[in-house]
Amino acid sequence: MLLNFDNVSSYYGATRILRDFSFEMEKGQCLCVLGRNGVGKTTLMRTIMGLTDRSTGSIRINGEAIEGKAPYQRATYGIGYVPQGRGILSDFTVRENILLGTFARKDKAPEIPEICLRIFPYLRDNLDRRAGLLSGGQKQQLAIARALAVGPQVLLLDEPTEGIQPNIVHEIGEILQMLNRELGISLILTEQHIKVARKLGDAFLMVDNGRVVARGAIAEMTDELVEEHMTI
Amino acid sequence: MDFGSILNALILGISIASIWLIAALGLTIIYGAAGVINMAHGEFIMLGAYSSYMLQYYVGVPYLFCIPISFVIVALVGLVLERGLIQYLYKRPLDTLLATYGVSLVLMQGVRLIFGSDPKYLAVPEIFSSNLSLGFVSISTFRVIVFGITALLVLALWALFYKTRFGVQVRAVMQNKEMAASFGINSSRIYMLTFALGAGLAGVAGSLFGVLNIVLPTMGSSYVVQAFLMVVVGGGSLAGSVVASGVTGELQSVFAFFTNDTFARFVIFVLIVVFLRFRPQGLFAQAGARR
Repeated sequence: MLLNFDNVSSYYGATRILRDFSFEMEKGQCLCVLGRNGVGKTTLMRTIMGLTDRSTGSIRINGEAIEGKAPYQRATYGIGYVPQGRGILSDFTVRENILLGTFARKDKAPEIPEICLRIFPYLRDNLDRRAGLLSGGQKQQLAIARALAVGPQVLLLDEPTEGIQPNIVHEIGEILQMLNRELGISLILTEQHIKVARKLGDAFLMVDNGRVVARGAIAEMTDELVEEHMTI
Repeated sequence: MDFGSILNALILGISIASIWLIAALGLTIIYGAAGVINMAHGEFIMLGAYSSYMLQYYVGVPYLFCIPISFVIVALVGLVLERGLIQYLYKRPLDTLLATYGVSLVLMQGVRLIFGSDPKYLAVPEIFSSNLSLGFVSISTFRVIVFGITALLVLALWALFYKTRFGVQVRAVMQNKEMAASFGINSSRIYMLTFALGAGLAGVAGSLFGVLNIVLPTMGSSYVVQAFLMVVVGGGSLAGSVVASGVTGELQSVFAFFTNDTFARFVIFVLIVVFLRFRPQGLFAQAGARR
């Protein structure tokens, strides 16, 4: 198993956001985390990275317990994080933003891995541009490139298609599929677009009110489930 | 009023600017990178002066070597202070203000207990106490040394922050601590090292100021105000402090040339207040969500 959550609860202050959260995910899978706004999808991502105030329960990566580790240590387990809102450092150049990812590498190699630039030609041609000047779609590409610079075994993608033009949504979908199928990088993504989830996902996790309400192979995600837990 | 004496005033201005700047360097780094308002900065300067005094008086180290050793000594003091106290207070900026003020009192009284309240003096090689003359211009050699060391330090800091992996880490933590952590950067370690670096820089300033002035347990308090003004006017960035010190030093020298030194300082302080009224974020404000 690549990732195990066993009875994890996660808190901001005294407020419990995730409740007794359990799931597991195999290597190479693409797991889609679905649910309405505010049910805890982003908190799930942040709990994996250790960015919530506190969490209880057991979290394991490749069987190794990480729940006691600080965020900077968790990153070195090969987790590439693409947060909601993209988390681009706007004072940094494109190059510096991608290089940020290399600090979590096992080998600490200070070079931009070739793959980051091969997939995103725009970034290759604008390495010295200030990242704050990029458009939303370009920032999303940069956030993915930065996460790839980690040399990840799993990418955490929090709403990767949010606020992005439809044609680029398609392009990012293609790229994620390529990373998953051809390079074998596991993906965990939260997604509002059911279509994207159906196309990319192997498995799904339906979340409501901080709990897992359904999970399984993507084919088992019935319209009734979507109806019940996702329509407003 | 002839051309020569105006030129002299301008050159003296550069020298004054380098004193303002070297006093502010360490504070700039600590405030800029860690967001800590270090009220003990003046006492770090004082410790630098006393370190040099001790090295010279008890060990017999030549003055020029006292400067880098003072850097190391005060940096270690900073390191201990950061690990022992400051690291628990990063989420409570107002408390760091009070805590570092308390530390400054402890340091001041501690030094007074050990060395007494009477002034100490740093001896410099003969050559430093002479004057350099070039045409109309005459300036003490030691002031040239101060300028040279300041320039060297600014250059070294710039290279450290913009040309090294360490610099990328510091700037990443400054902009977004959470993202930096998500990509493997240990912000606690970065804060510790920048705090030590800032303290060390104050140590260098102290070993220079100990020559320009007498060495006293209370000498820090005059420099800390000066240093804070530069950090606030500059906006907390290295470039900001450089420009703020440059302008302030020149203005002070030129005003002093037309009136006198006391009045010049008065005008400078009024100008700074007026400046901050219209630009409270300082010259080069830093963007970023610190925490």
